[in-house]
Amino acid sequence: MTFVMALCVTACVGVSIYLLLGRDLKGVAMGVFLLGHGANLSIMAMSGSPVLPAENATAAESLKAAPILGAHVPSPALANMVDPLPQALILTAIVIGFAVMGFLLTLLIITNRSTGTLVVDRLANEPVSTTRTDTRAEPFLPSGTPS
Amino acid sequence: MNPSLIVLLVIIPAAAGLICVPLINRLNTCRLVGVVGFALNLGLALSLLGACSQGDTSAIVTQLGGWSAPYGIALVFDALSGLMVAAASLVALACLIHASGSLPDPVERRYFHPLVNFMMAGVNLSFLTGDLFNLFVAFEIMLMASYGLLVLGRGKAQLAQAYKYVLLNLVASAIFVIAAGMVYGLLGTLNLADMARITTELAARDALPAGFTAVGVLLLFVFTLKAGVFPLWFWLPDTYPTCPIAITALFGGVLTKVGGYAVARIFPLVFLVGDAAAVLQQIILIGAVLTMAVGVFGALAYRTLRRSLAMFIIVGVGYALFGVAVGEPGAIGGSVFYMAQSMIVMAAAFLACGLIETHLTSDDLSDGGGLLKTHPWLGVLFLIGLLSIAGLPPTSGFYGKFAIIRDALGAGFTWTALIAIGVGALSILAVLRIWCESFWGPDPVVQPRDAEARAAALAREPSASGYAALVLLIAAALCIGILPQRVVGIANAAGQQVTDPGAYIAAVMGPDARPPAAESHHDTPAPAPAHGHDAAHDTGHDATHAPQTHTPAAPHPPAPEAQTDPTPDPHQDLPVAQPAPDPVPDVGPVPTPEPEPEPEPAPSAPRTGPEFRVQAHGQQMAAAPHDPAMERRP
Repeated sequence: MTFVMALCVTACVGVSIYLLLGRDLKGVAMGVFLLGHGANLSIMAMSGSPVLPAENATAAESLKAAPILGAHVPSPALANMVDPLPQALILTAIVIGFAVMGFLLTLLIITNRSTGTLVVDRLANEPVSTTRTDTRAEPFLPSGTPS
Repeated sequence: MNPSLIVLLVIIPAAAGLICVPLINRLNTCRLVGVVGFALNLGLALSLLGACSQGDTSAIVTQLGGWSAPYGIALVFDALSGLMVAAASLVALACLIHASGSLPDPVERRYFHPLVNFMMAGVNLSFLTGDLFNLFVAFEIMLMASYGLLVLGRGKAQLAQAYKYVLLNLVASAIFVIAAGMVYGLLGTLNLADMARITTELAARDALPAGFTAVGVLLLFVFTLKAGVFPLWFWLPDTYPTCPIAITALFGGVLTKVGGYAVARIFPLVFLVGDAAAVLQQIILIGAVLTMAVGVFGALAYRTLRRSLAMFIIVGVGYALFGVAVGEPGAIGGSVFYMAQSMIVMAAAFLACGLIETHLTSDDLSDGGGLLKTHPWLGVLFLIGLLSIAGLPPTSGFYGKFAIIRDALGAGFTWTALIAIGVGALSILAVLRIWCESFWGPDPVVQPRDAEARAAALAREPSASGYAALVLLIAAALCIGILPQRVVGIANAAGQQVTDPGAYIAAVMGPDARPPAAESHHDTPAPAPAHGHDAAHDTGHDATHAPQTHTPAAPHPPAPEAQTDPTPDPHQDLPVAQPAPDPVPDVGPVPTPEPEPEPEPAPSAPRTGPEFRVQAHGQQMAAAPHDPAMERRP
């Protein structure tokens, strides 16, 4: 199981690095999302498989138990309980990643509208003009207005 | 003082942000809510700092939800985090005041106030949290709000540059998640104090798990990217200067320091032990020196005011990291002092830059000059800010650099200290160049068609709130510079705490850390063992310390101070963080365990008396629990 998980993590991270090295920001964004999935899977791999019953558990396997239980499993029903903490971590990371994904896609859409491109080379040619950004009485454009 | 008060430092900005959302079109109400919130935060942080430095507790700890230390999330307010929270609140207060005058109203209505408040909630949480994964969550709160602030107003340059900041931070977040998972896999805990306890104990036995250094490097990547350290600095001068100036000041003052704080907090505590210390310390040291050098050359090279100032942020981060790499208490105290004052001073310089831009037509240094004739007081305030950045003696930047370089020379970092001195000299050159070209120099050559616009800009009415914010920050910087005793005392206490993880561990875990037993006695007939106390463990698996963990009344085998050992505590079934007898005779008084047992983990009583602070790194945990990481090793 660990091997399969490792393969999945490798595939996710490998593809995401390939995408991250591209010139188009849409691809880079997909790479970032995939990297997040790879990170979640790697935590999953570390959380391990369910613990064995206490009497035949080796120490390494009992590590996978929920730390709040310890090795003295209070009831047989809990003997197969996985450590819930990594799953809580993954859940948190997924929620955060989802919010960030929404933001990043919105940012890319607005950037495309404003600058007309999502290719890194062309964006780099935009001058980093800092001329009076906040003193210029520039009318605020509501969303959708072509600039 | 009630320790749960420190939760307010996070709750106040979060609540203020929530209040501002429905009131977003009533700008004055929003401004009032924000200013009151940050002022409350500042006052609370200062009064808690006073309680910390005068009382006998060096750290105020609260366990969120009543879940005791290794399981729940602890918030820790000590000299280091407290100083950072206070400085950040002051900067946020000033930036909010400045923004109310300088930000166009339509932009301010686009949720500027909620975003600033949420960002400060994230910043304060990352300063206070004692849990690695909670630090990730705090970073994300801070970053999400900062992404919003970064593109506020939707200038074309802003949008064209914002992707660098957003994408780099997203990659860093993914790596942070991976690293946090690895830490949990290696050490079986994410609580910083618990991690420190385990790694200290493992390092003392030279048994750090394989891959421990690699995890340290991953975390260092994450934090130094946020801080803008050498190989990862390039996004900073591209993105920060594109924002409206009040936001630039807030970012430049606060955000990079969060990364610096995370390095200063976590690395000496957890990762700079044993074999890992040699590798990581070298990485931090080289990174710090290159950061300083790159920063100061960038500041000399850029021709625009905002970008030059952005490079000075990088110089400051380099100095702060240099102090952490040196590792002496005095040097870390110097770094803490430097980071706190650098927040204030950098924000002040950016706010002054905003006022200069209103009077000139741009922030290009070639358009500057001659401003001293028309705006002498702005010139004086700006000069004070710049001299603090360079670190000349009467100003606040001096003491931090002095302490760092003094301890670096004392600890044998001669070459790097000389480089730091050289960077200081070049910084003076750079700030004087900036000041001369904007204020002191001759009037610029103005094209006839621009002359009218320039005259109009020079005569523009100064914004009262802009000056008020600038004066507030400069006055704070001057107070720190001229009367540094209080802040130096707090910073040195922070340096002591950082170099002595025993105090932090005792404060968070409790000196008689028995939290798991106290909880599980109620619902399980057989007392569930503490985290890591496996039955498999004392069935002969690791016989060296099994007798200690499960037969508490037996004296410790080495027992050079046997008189402290038979504790009168009847409930002493799990002496997890029982302070070990100190085998080094010259470090101070012999630690005496608390005679009376606490029935519950008592988050209100960190009890970090002097006996816990003299513990040397590595002697805290003689009665060590089973370490998961040990078992993982083949």
